[in-house]
Amino acid sequence: MDDLIEILENLEPDVDYKKTENLIDGRYLDSLKILSLVSEIEDTFDVEIPTVEIIPDNFNSAKKMWALIEKLKEE
Amino acid sequence: MSYFKNAYILGLLPIVCLIYNLIPKKRYLFLLLVNFAIYFYLVNFRVVFLLVSILSIYFCGLSLNKIDSKKEKLLKKSKEDKKLIEKKIKNDKKLILLFCILLNVSFLIVFKYLSFFTININHLLDFLHINYSVGTAKFLGPLGISFYTLSALSYILDVYNGKIVADKSFVKVALFLSFFPQITEGPIARFSDTADSLYEGKKITNQSFVLGYQRILFGLFKYKLFVPRLNLIVSKVFLDYTNYSGFGIFLGALAYTVMLYMEFSGTMDIVIGSGQIFGVKIPENFRQPFFSKNISEFWTRWHISLGLWFKDYIYYPICLSKPLKKLTKKTRKLLGNQYGPLISGSIALFVVWFLNGLWHGAGYTFLFFGLYHFVMIAGGNFITPLVVFICKKLHINRENIIYRILQTLKMCLFVIIGELFFRVDTLSNGFAMVHKIFTNFVISGSEMLRFGLSIQDYVVMIISLIFIFIMSILREKNIDVREKLSTKKTYVRWIIMYVFILIIIIFGAYGTGYEPIDPIYADF
Repeated sequence: MDDLIEILENLEPDVDYKKTENLIDGRYLDSLKILSLVSEIEDTFDVEIPTVEIIPDNFNSAKKMWALIEKLKEE
Repeated sequence: MSYFKNAYILGLLPIVCLIYNLIPKKRYLFLLLVNFAIYFYLVNFRVVFLLVSILSIYFCGLSLNKIDSKKEKLLKKSKEDKKLIEKKIKNDKKLILLFCILLNVSFLIVFKYLSFFTININHLLDFLHINYSVGTAKFLGPLGISFYTLSALSYILDVYNGKIVADKSFVKVALFLSFFPQITEGPIARFSDTADSLYEGKKITNQSFVLGYQRILFGLFKYKLFVPRLNLIVSKVFLDYTNYSGFGIFLGALAYTVMLYMEFSGTMDIVIGSGQIFGVKIPENFRQPFFSKNISEFWTRWHISLGLWFKDYIYYPICLSKPLKKLTKKTRKLLGNQYGPLISGSIALFVVWFLNGLWHGAGYTFLFFGLYHFVMIAGGNFITPLVVFICKKLHINRENIIYRILQTLKMCLFVIIGELFFRVDTLSNGFAMVHKIFTNFVISGSEMLRFGLSIQDYVVMIISLIFIFIMSILREKNIDVREKLSTKKTYVRWIIMYVFILIIIIFGAYGTGYEPIDPIYADF
């Protein structure tokens, strides 16, 4: 989880990732940042994020992103 | 079909509601019958194309399900290589998907684009001095084909991607694609949005009926108080812009932008309200678009369902395709996180806006409309980090109210110019109009009275605009006025409703002097 927070802070520093739960709906992360984020997550955690998983529900908070990573790791 | 007509609001809708509620069981069958009867009335035998779309996604969806379940069995039984089986299964699934997409898109191409393509092929042959011409034929397409085709594609793509499981009920799939309030102008709903509630066939309650009609009234208010009046300005300016100064042309473009908003968002109010009556939650298509900071945000608040469709099925699949993923990785290493993803993002954005322009219509003005937005959004993506940097250095607070107002005004100007090109007959007229706006702009009161509108008309529109602005602020702050209203006593609610109806009757624009207006978005 700490690695993920570090990735997010490098992308967009001025956000409290432990508390914020509307990263997409609140436009903290736009589509370009999502591209960087996906690429960074895939490299760091050795997973492949399918396009269908790129929905606000999976990226609105660090917690949800972590849950997605865990799910993809299991698969 | 215009949803603003009394025939729909006071005739068709209440009659359907009444019969629907009298039926004790399987109301969904009645609803399906109504959907097809209305669509048949609108498009006659071209209803066949809707039926083919429904059948194609239904059977292709089931075939995809079958292949998936076959995969599990094969993997358990077979001694073959797991990867080999998976590859074979994937190829089979791809074939079915491709067939379904090609079938549905081919209708769209034949009805919407064939004439445009053949005309351009003939221009090209002429240009190359080749003495041959392709026969041009224009077929009248079924109403709403652009909308229901995208919904149909979303269903089959979601099944293919494992996002949803293909439904075994043909009636449910047919209801999803043919629901009568949605069929001509959307929103482009997903199967998970509406199918279950349509199939459930909930009984209409007093509350759902009143809430639905409140929303319908709001849509009617937007239409009747603005659209016929603004149409007087728009039709005159766009018919012959040479009669007007830059100010007059700007008013024409502004009037068209507001008219488009009032007409389309008003239609959505009626569609969503109609859905609410039947207990169906149709997704919102507008979210205060004129409160956006930039044109990119504007398109996440205007025609939301179309934007989301392009994002989910075009933008991300292109950006996250293997070649572009590799490109993003390389460019991120070279240019960093800010500018790194911009190149692959812009490639996908170009495709999205090219298709978006084409979706709105087969013509150069629509293609230009799409590419104009691509340039504006991609340009904004490149410039924004620089603007942020400059503002930081100059200690300018970007959240400051004055900065925000200037940002919104700039966004509105870009939108108005975009909509001007959306409305013009030819690109050369569009460029000449924009040129005149920037070179011959003199504010004149007399110019405003040349459109056939009186001062009273302007006063009515300004007061109504203030009302809609206040309602938009409340919605932006997540305050639900209708919910607040529902806590008031019955007589208070009815007084408010009657006052609202009276306002529409007294101040609405209809009758002689106003031209009949076809639904704008139904043409797309």
